[in-house]
Amino acid sequence: MGKYRKHILFISLLTLLITFAGVLIFYPVPTPPESAVRYARMALSSARKNNADLYAENLYYDAKIYYDSAMKAWQRENMKFIYRRNFDSVLKYADLTMKKAYLSIQASQSNISDLRINLSQKLSALKEIVHEISRRFEDYPLDAEIRDRISKGGFLLEEGAIAYRIGDYLKADSKIRESEHLLASSYEYAHTHLRNYFRLYPQWKIWIDSTITVSDSTNDYSIIIDKYSRKLIVYNDGKKFREYSAELSQNWVGDKRVRGDKATPEGMYKITRKFRSDSTKYYKALLLNYPNEEDSANFERAKARGALPQSAKIGGMIEIHGHGGKGIDWTEGCIALTNNDMDNLFNIVKVGTPVTIVGSMQSLRQILRN
Amino acid sequence: MKNKVLFGLATLAIVAMLSSCGKVPQAEIDATNAAIAAAQAAEANVYLPAEFTALQDSMNAITAAVEVQKGKLFKKFGTVKEQLATTLAQANQVAANVAAKKEEVKKEADTILNGIKSVVAENAKLVVKLPRGKEGAAVIEAIKADMATVDGSVAEAQGMFDKGAFMDALNKAKAAQEKATAINTEIKEVLTKARIRF
Repeated sequence: MGKYRKHILFISLLTLLITFAGVLIFYPVPTPPESAVRYARMALSSARKNNADLYAENLYYDAKIYYDSAMKAWQRENMKFIYRRNFDSVLKYADLTMKKAYLSIQASQSNISDLRINLSQKLSALKEIVHEISRRFEDYPLDAEIRDRISKGGFLLEEGAIAYRIGDYLKADSKIRESEHLLASSYEYAHTHLRNYFRLYPQWKIWIDSTITVSDSTNDYSIIIDKYSRKLIVYNDGKKFREYSAELSQNWVGDKRVRGDKATPEGMYKITRKFRSDSTKYYKALLLNYPNEEDSANFERAKARGALPQSAKIGGMIEIHGHGGKGIDWTEGCIALTNNDMDNLFNIVKVGTPVTIVGSMQSLRQILRN
Repeated sequence: MKNKVLFGLATLAIVAMLSSCGKVPQAEIDATNAAIAAAQAAEANVYLPAEFTALQDSMNAITAAVEVQKGKLFKKFGTVKEQLATTLAQANQVAANVAAKKEEVKKEADTILNGIKSVVAENAKLVVKLPRGKEGAAVIEAIKADMATVDGSVAEAQGMFDKGAFMDALNKAKAAQEKATAINTEIKEVLTKARIRF
C-alpha cells in the first residue's frame, strides 16, 4: 500500500511538473517592441541629421524625451517577472517618438527653407542699405557714433553672410538681426538728419531764384554757393557762367548760429571787401557781409529764448578765399577755392556782387532720384 | 568514478560559461560612455558633428540591444560586447580626430589672424596717404571707422583663439579678413586714381 501511494505521489508530482513546464513553455511570453524602438531610434537619428535639434528644437526634444521614456519603460518592464511584463507603454512611447521625430524633420526642413529665403532677402536688403548709406552719406558729416554703428552693422552683415554661406543659418540669423538693428537705425537717423537739413529748401529756392533774377536784371555776376554739392556757381546775365569746387567748414550741415561753431552760414550776402595776396593769409579773399540783418535778428531771438547763452557772440569774417583743394571741409566757416579758381573768381567779381549761400540747389527728392 | 568527476566538471564549466555570457557588460558600457563623454569634452560635437552623432546613435542602439538581452531567459551579451568594443574604438578615434581637426582649425585661424594683422598695419600706413579726395574727410572718417571695427574684431577673434575657441575665432577672423581686404582695396583704388605711390 505504501509503495502504491509513493507511486501515485510520484506520478502526481511528475504530472504537475510537466504541466508547469508546459505552461512555462507554451504560455505566451510578452515580447518587447524591439523593432518599434529601433524605428523610433532611426527616426530620432534622422531628425538629428536633419538638424531638427537646431531648427525644430521643441519637436525634436519632445521626440527625444519620448524615446528616453520608451527606454526607461522597457528597463522597468525587464525588471519584472517574465510573464508579468507589459510593453504597451514602451510601444506607445516608441510610436510617439516616431511621430514627433518625423514632425520635427518636416518642421526643420521647412524652417531651414523659410529661414534661407528670409535671410537671403534680408542680406540683399541690408546690402542695399549699406550701399545707400555709402552713396548718400559718404561725404555727409555724420556723428562718429553713427559712423561707428554703421561700420559695426556692416561687419556683422559680413559675419552673417559668411555664416549663411557655410549653412549655419541660426548664427547667420542672429548676426543679420544685430546688423539690421544697427544699420536700419543709423540709416533712419542719417535720413532724418538729412530731411531736417532740407526742411529749409523752400527758403533756399526763393534765395536762388532771387539771386539769378538779380544777375539777369543787372546783367552782372552773382554767386550761389551750394553747400550740399560743394559747388560755387557764378551766374552772369541770369545764366550759369562758371562752376568751381568748394570746400566748407567741418560742421557745414545747417546754418551758422554762433561764433566758433565751425558752420558755414546760409543766406543772401554781398561781397564787402576784396583782399589781395598781401592782405590775407588765404592767398586771396572776398569778405562777405555776414552777419546780415536777418542773421543778427535770428541770433538775438535765439539768445532771448535761451537757445544760446547770453555770452555767445555771433561771429563774422566769413570769406570766399584761396588755399582750397585740400579735399576736406576744413575752414572755420568760410568757403575755400583752389588758388587758380580764386584768381578767376577774383577777377570777375567786385564789391557788391551778391553771394547767396544755400544748403542745396536741388530738393532732397531730386537728389534722391538722381 | 572518473567519468562522474569529469561530468561534474563539464557541467560546472557550462554553468560558469552561461553565467558569464548572461551578465550585462557594465564595465564595457561604462568605458564606452566615458570615451564618448571624452570625445564630447574634446568638442567633437563642434568640430566633427557628424562623427559624434554617429557615436551617439551607436550607443543608443547598444542600449536597446542590452535591453533586448536583459528581457531574455538565456541572456547572450556576446554581440553587445563586440558592438561596445567597436564603438569604444570609434569614440577613441573620434577624440583623436578632433584633436587633429582642432589643430587644423587653430592653424587656419592663426594664419588668417596673422594675415589680417599685416593688412591692418598696411591700411594704417596707407590711410594717411589718402588724397582727401572730393568727398573729403567724411570718407576718411568712414574708412577709419571701418578700420576701428576690424581692429575690434581682430582683438575679439584673438581673445577667442587664446581661450581655445578656435572655430569661433576662425569665423570671426574670416569676416575681419574680408573687411580688412575690402578696406585695403578701397584705399589702394583711391590712391591709384589719385596717382599716389604706395
